[in-house]
Amino acid sequence: MSSDALAGLLGVLLLLALLVAGVPIGVSLGLVGFGGLTLLLGLEPALIKSGVLLFDTLSRYELGVLPLFLLMAHLCFAANASRDFFRAAAGLVGHRRGGLALASVGACAGFGAISGSSLATAATIGLVALPEMRERGYSDSFATGVVAAGGTLGQAVPPSGALIVFGIISEQSIGKLFTAAIVPALTQMLLYGITIVLLCHFRPAIAPASPRVSRAERWRGLVRILDVAVLVLIVIGGISVGWFTPSEAASVGAVGGLMLCAWRRRLTWPALGHALAETLRTSGMIYAVIIGALIFSVFISLTGLAEAVSSLIGSVSDNRVVAMLMIAVVLLVLGSLLDGLALMLLTTPILLPIVQQLGLSPIWFGIFLIRAMEIGFVHPPIGMNLYVIHGIAKDVPISRIFRGVLPFLGADFVHLLLLILIPGLALELPKLLAP
Amino acid sequence: MSRGPLFYIGSAALLTAMAIDAAAVICRHLGLSILGSIEIVQAAMLLASSAALVAASLARKHATVHLAIDRVGPRTRLWLERISAFLSAVFFAALAAGSIWIAFDLRHGHEASEVLRIPYAPLRIVSIAAVLGLAGIALWQMRRIEPE
Repeated sequence: MSSDALAGLLGVLLLLALLVAGVPIGVSLGLVGFGGLTLLLGLEPALIKSGVLLFDTLSRYELGVLPLFLLMAHLCFAANASRDFFRAAAGLVGHRRGGLALASVGACAGFGAISGSSLATAATIGLVALPEMRERGYSDSFATGVVAAGGTLGQAVPPSGALIVFGIISEQSIGKLFTAAIVPALTQMLLYGITIVLLCHFRPAIAPASPRVSRAERWRGLVRILDVAVLVLIVIGGISVGWFTPSEAASVGAVGGLMLCAWRRRLTWPALGHALAETLRTSGMIYAVIIGALIFSVFISLTGLAEAVSSLIGSVSDNRVVAMLMIAVVLLVLGSLLDGLALMLLTTPILLPIVQQLGLSPIWFGIFLIRAMEIGFVHPPIGMNLYVIHGIAKDVPISRIFRGVLPFLGADFVHLLLLILIPGLALELPKLLAP
Repeated sequence: MSRGPLFYIGSAALLTAMAIDAAAVICRHLGLSILGSIEIVQAAMLLASSAALVAASLARKHATVHLAIDRVGPRTRLWLERISAFLSAVFFAALAAGSIWIAFDLRHGHEASEVLRIPYAPLRIVSIAAVLGLAGIALWQMRRIEPE
């Protein structure tokens, strides 16, 4: 290993130490990157490079996609769209054994299409679905596990905040990433559905059947989500078929969110002010992380660490599947120590060049990385979704929530393996829609 | 977030970017074009993102890994939080220094956008003010961290 690569490795270790010590993710990445650049190039180039990256990031047109999608999400919250997804899905399948669990997964996917965040999805759907499932006699462990796992769909279903950040730091097309995420999100839902059906088949007591709601009630539920569904279809469909770029789609989505609020008579000054304030705060947090990550990325690319790690992996096996399995293990181990965003920002500059050397698509890697991150959301000791659900159902011990999520964690591992074995799951749809 | 100037500047910039970009899409599909719409969106986004960074810092909303900090004693936590605030101040000060350096180098360059000739100098000043603000907030927060 060269001395530069060694400096890169030391930088990664220092970064891990700073992250674990509670230094903000953006600051940790930026400081290590800045320090590394100073060591490798000198103070003046390090200062100038950091200054250039700051201005470029803040004024970058493509980055507008992030706050504008966040604004769309907050306006949809204000329009009270979250509850409607669960009501509509519960009306359709809630009467079957495990039906409310299936409805929760469907609602998480639907809500994920407007929120783009796992935590927000788990929290929002959890607030609606958990009391209903528990009231209908669902086992605590099963009900909480379903919502904790289902929440990860918030990040899988486009437009996803994590995919936007990945697209920016890896310089990949956000539109292609969104399109590539559609089939993996659907297969993830399918695997969760199969898990629910199997669990209910072998342990019927955990999710009893409920009375069927009337046909009129079911229609009302579907009609209630029609406006949000149209908005989501326009945004995602518009990107996929090339009507507009992701940045434009975010603007169209935010305007659509405003119209949705007005249509539902929920567009008030306090609601708009709250949506804007939340958007600014969350965007600021993500901007800080992106600035830090870009500086760190420049440092890592200068060290040649990725090449060193690549030759290390190559010396173990030159088989692409084996190499990706090794990378998956590294991601899962790191994912049990770091939260999703930190994991992505730390590993992308190192792993992306390796993946490209293996002949794999960066778009595919983005989807793979997001899936690995999602597993970290339901995996102790971090498992943020578990704690979010624990916050909603305080009387259910965290150990029971974890037991409930275990079968879904199994489904996640199967899904990750499927993504490695069949890259077409992510890559065929973008090819089909934009050949 | 208190509804002060920061909120109004950031919100107005965000809504402007949204409106201009959405209008540009509609016009394009109608066969018309809004000249320089991207440049307006870029300038608006710089204002919005600068306000957003400061708003996140004021609200202590920066993303942090909680693995260790939630499991240590109050005294250790206090020190870790102080060190973290100090390192944040150092990082943002370095960003400010780099930005000032570039702005100083380009002071006679009359940088402007291509179509609408929007001058970059005021935008650079906004970004510098934002990161200087972030460094100041971090130092202020370091002094304000007290034992629980």
